[in-house]
Parts: sequence; structure tokens; C-alpha cells
Amino acid sequence: MSEAYATGAASPLIRLDHVSRWYTRGVDEVHALEDCSLEIPAGRFVAFMGPSGSGKSTLLNLVSGIDRPSAGEVWVAGQLLNELSEDELAAWRARHVGLIFQFFNLVPVLSARDNVALPLLLTDLPRAERQQRAEIALRVVGLEHRVGHSPRTLSGGEQQRVAIARALVSDPDLIVADEPTGDLDARNAEATLGLLRQLKEEFGKTVVMVTHDPRALRFVDQVFHLDKGILLEGEAERRAHEALVLAGGAAPASAGGAAPAASAAGRGA
Amino acid sequence: MSYLGLVLANLRRNRLRSLLTGGAIALAVLLVCILLTMPAGLDALLSRLSNNTRISVVNKAGLVYSMPYAFARKIRALPGVEDAVGQVWFGGAFEDDGKVTFPNFAVEVDHIETVYPDYGISPQGLADFRRYRDGMIVGRETMKKYGWKLGDRVTLRSTVWPANLDLRIVAEIPNDRSPIAWINREYLDQALKAKGRSLGILGIVWVKVTDPKEVNSVMLRIQELTRNSEAETSTQTEKSFFSAFFGSLEGFVTILMVVTVLVSLCIVFIAGNTASMAVRERAGEIAVLKAIGFRRGSIFSMLIAETVMLSFTAGAAGVGLARLLTELLRNAAAGSPQLGPLGGFIVNQAVVVQGLLLSLAIGVVAGVVPAFGAARKPVAQTLREVF
Repeated sequence: MSEAYATGAASPLIRLDHVSRWYTRGVDEVHALEDCSLEIPAGRFVAFMGPSGSGKSTLLNLVSGIDRPSAGEVWVAGQLLNELSEDELAAWRARHVGLIFQFFNLVPVLSARDNVALPLLLTDLPRAERQQRAEIALRVVGLEHRVGHSPRTLSGGEQQRVAIARALVSDPDLIVADEPTGDLDARNAEATLGLLRQLKEEFGKTVVMVTHDPRALRFVDQVFHLDKGILLEGEAERRAHEALVLAGGAAPASAGGAAPAASAAGRGA
Repeated sequence: MSYLGLVLANLRRNRLRSLLTGGAIALAVLLVCILLTMPAGLDALLSRLSNNTRISVVNKAGLVYSMPYAFARKIRALPGVEDAVGQVWFGGAFEDDGKVTFPNFAVEVDHIETVYPDYGISPQGLADFRRYRDGMIVGRETMKKYGWKLGDRVTLRSTVWPANLDLRIVAEIPNDRSPIAWINREYLDQALKAKGRSLGILGIVWVKVTDPKEVNSVMLRIQELTRNSEAETSTQTEKSFFSAFFGSLEGFVTILMVVTVLVSLCIVFIAGNTASMAVRERAGEIAVLKAIGFRRGSIFSMLIAETVMLSFTAGAAGVGLARLLTELLRNAAAGSPQLGPLGGFIVNQAVVVQGLLLSLAIGVVAGVVPAFGAARKPVAQTLREVF
């Protein structure tokens, strides 16, 4: 690993180098991810796709610094995440990562604005500025008229937009989304994917998403296909991608499509 | 929104549960505070009843055993003794009650004034007590109980001696909480002699010491005086005497304190269970907070702050209620001889501090395990379990 890469401008925002992740569940050892290497440049909208148990969420957790690899190296925004302690990782996530989950996971006793302002509690910003930034983030996702509403009074789509605003509010380098459309109807799913695309287009954010949703192909720049903990390459990857297109998706917007992207490290659209 | 706002919002999340848990804590703290007033209340009661220069002398074998009458005279002659009054249990029952409903003793009338200067008995009453052999001094509580007044004549039938004495009330002990009555020892002695008996014994001698510093040496001298006699004696200060008399009550208080500690422990477990449930229900949210960058220390602090805040607020309410209750009791006791002694049980500053510390401890102990568990668990593992 070169020093220039580790600190580097002009280097990918995310780089995984022969990463594996296994853990024990009872007496069994589960190999969730095997020898995975990839690079994602800054400002891309990328999807990890594959069947349940393929290792997508594990990969997402590693990229977002929620989990640490059992082997290999994870570099994000010039930081080798392996060497950070649990608390250092938490601080790093607060600065660099915005997270979106399938079930929104908003705090039901807080208003939309307070939910969005939650990550800013970890900063030194005064209360008024935290509130102001939260309102701006809500405006970006089109919910400026719902700032004082409780999550219970919001629709699923609106709750997911609040969650997106929460991910955006601390102006992170990277936004990661775990099945963001999994609990939404078709209209809201499209709107959410459009919003994530907008974060990439208008704010230059790098967005990494795990999804089963074939509609995502129309919004992302690049797709990585996984199966049984392995990043697919070559023919296997091509077949997986074709199956996805047949299921209702379309080729990703960027030149080269998904298939070339889902190859070995450094290859992408 | 701030950290405090987040903690308060979480407390409002399930209002009924917070209210019920807080109510249980408040009730437990109230109970503990009231019980904590008991040792100090009893002490105050004993202090009011007793005098620090008065000591009692009884037969070493026990209060029911007698001593020779001559002991009183010998004790009076000891250095450091201002005066001493010998008393014997008369055990008089009023009218047809058949039972002794108030303590009454035959006493040496000439020594009452010096031994009990703090009782506030009127000089005229004391003079009449010396003048009339059938005179009787009665505590105000008994006076009120039977509706007696000065000059009334009453007959007491002894349950111990073969004597029914006609007595006239010549003085009152002006203390609402005093039930005792004193009669003239010579009067009883004459009544017994008329029936061929004699009163040559004492049940107790109350000794007035000249100087509080002399109390211990006088007690030693009295014990030395009666050593190897037919009735060796035991001496103690008036406060110790009443303390021993109320010993069974103190034992009861000890039991109550033990029960209170157990109740407090139960409350800790209940509050702990509530905190665990709350943490379990919010596992997803806590995982998300950790995922977006909240450190383990912050998560731990927020969760422990919730239980401490609930417990402390509820405990403070319990302390306030206990104080209010004892104040009401004290006010009620001021006008009621029956409730009188209860007026001494006050939730003072020390009890307030102890009650608040207990509330704090309940919050910390109840919250520490679930908060630590939630904070310690790696975020990836929590997310895997929850989602």
C-alpha cells in the first residue's frame, strides 16, 4: 500500500484489500465475506447486490466502519479503519459517514428536526446552528413543512427522507444505505433512489447502497454483485447482472454498465 | 435538542411505565425516610423523658425484685449525690377497671422536689404533697384521661398490696405525655401496718447527682455500696433506663429497618427490570445511535441518566411527601396527648440527604447493568441481532 494512496488525493475514497470477515454464531464459524478487494472512487453512486446471506450488509458495515475485518485492510477517506478502536471508529463515523437503514430507525419521541439534528449532538455546534442545519437538510429532502412532526405522523416514504436528511446533515464524505427501499412502496422507493442520486449529483457525495431492488440499476453508477460472501467476477458476474436486468432493472447510467464494475479490485464503470 | 432533551424525551416515551416505576420508587423512599426518623425520634423522646443528672438504681436481678428500704438513705449519704428518692410499685387500679391503666408509685415525698426539679410541679402542689398523707401527684395525661382535676378524691385499689387507698389529687405533673402518679409512701406503709404488714422495701431509687461529670463515679459508688449485700444493684442513667425500657420497641424498629432495606432492594430490582425492558425495546435505536457515531461512554451516560433522573425525581417526591406527612403528624400531635410522642419523628436534613442518596443509588444500581450491556455490545453485532 503506497503512502500516496493512504493519504491521497486522486485516490479512491474506498479501498478494500483482500478483506475477509468471519464470526462465530454458536459453535459455527460463519464466513460472511471472503477475500474481497475493490475500489470506489469519490463521488460515485454504488450498489452492492446479491441474494440474502451473500455478504452485502457485511461489506457495507466494513465500508462504513461499523465492523472491522477479520483479515485484509479497509481504507476509507485516507484512513485505515483496521487500526481504530471502537470509540475511534465511532468518532470517525460521526465525521465521515452518513447512515440510512431499511426501517428508518428514527427516534419516535423526537420531532423530524430533532431526529435529523441527532448526529450534530456529537459536534461543538451551538444548539441554534444545529437546528438550522437540520432544517436545511430537511429542505433538501423536501420536508421543510414537516420539521416539527413526530415520525409517527409521517408516512414511510417521509420517514425515509428524514433518515436521509439525518445522514446528510453532518456533511459526510460517504453516505451508506442498507436496503433503503426495502420497506417502501414502488413510488416512494423510486423517490428515495432519486434522492440518493441527487445527493451524488448535487452535493458530490459518494453513496454506497445495499439493495435487492432491481430498480436501483437505473440510478447507480456501478454495481458489485456478491454471492456466498464472494465478490463475483467475469462470467458469474455477467450472469448475475443479466438476471437482475431481466427482473426489472435497467443498466446503470454510467458507461460500461454494471457488469464491468463488478469485477476485481479497481475495475468499475 | 440537547443530551438532556434526549434523556427527557426518552423518559416521556412510555409515560405510564415511567409513572408506575417512579411511584414505586417514591413510595419506597417515603417508607425509608419515615423509618429513618425512628431512631432519632426515639432518642428525642428519651431525651425529653430523661435528665442527664438522674440515675436509676434497681436490683441487679431485675426490676421486679426489691431492695432494702435502707438503701435509699445510704445512697443519699454518698459523695456526689444531691438527693435520692426511693419508690415502690403500688400498682393501683382506678375504680372497677381491675387493671392498672397508668404507672403509680409510693414515693418518699420529702425528696421529690430535689430529684425532679425539671418536672415543673408547682411549689404549692409539692407543699400539699408533703402536708397531706393522702395526697397524690398525677401526670397530666392521666388527669386528662380520667377527667380529674386538682382537689378530686379518688380511690386506688392496689393489685400488689392488700390496700385500697383514698387519695386526693394535690398536684399535677404539667406534661401532656406524663401518665405517672405518685402517692405518699408513709400512707401506704400505715395502711399495710393496719393489716399486720410492713413496707420495708424499695423497687427503684432515683438519684439526683450534683454534677453531670459525677454521674459515672456516683454509679460506681452505688454499685460498690451494695456489692455483696443481699440485693446487689444495677445503675444506669435515666436515658439508658428508658432506653432499656423501650428496648423491645428498638428491636421492632431494627426489624422494620431490615424490611425497609429489603423493600429498597426489591425496588432496585423492579427499576432494574424496567430499565432492562426499556433498553431492550430500544435496541434498534441504540444501535443506530452507535452507528451514527455516539460513543459507548455517551450511550452509557444517556441510559444511566434516564434511570437516575427518574429515580432521583421520584425519590425527591418521596422525601418531600415524607417530610409533609411528619410535619402534619407533628402538628396533629401538638394538640393530642395520644399522638404526642409521634411529634418527635421529624424528617430532618440528615434524613432528607439519606433519602436523596438512596434515590440516587437506586437509579445508579438499577441502570448500570442494562446501560453497560447496551453500551458495551459492538455495534455490528447489535445491528445483526436487531435488523
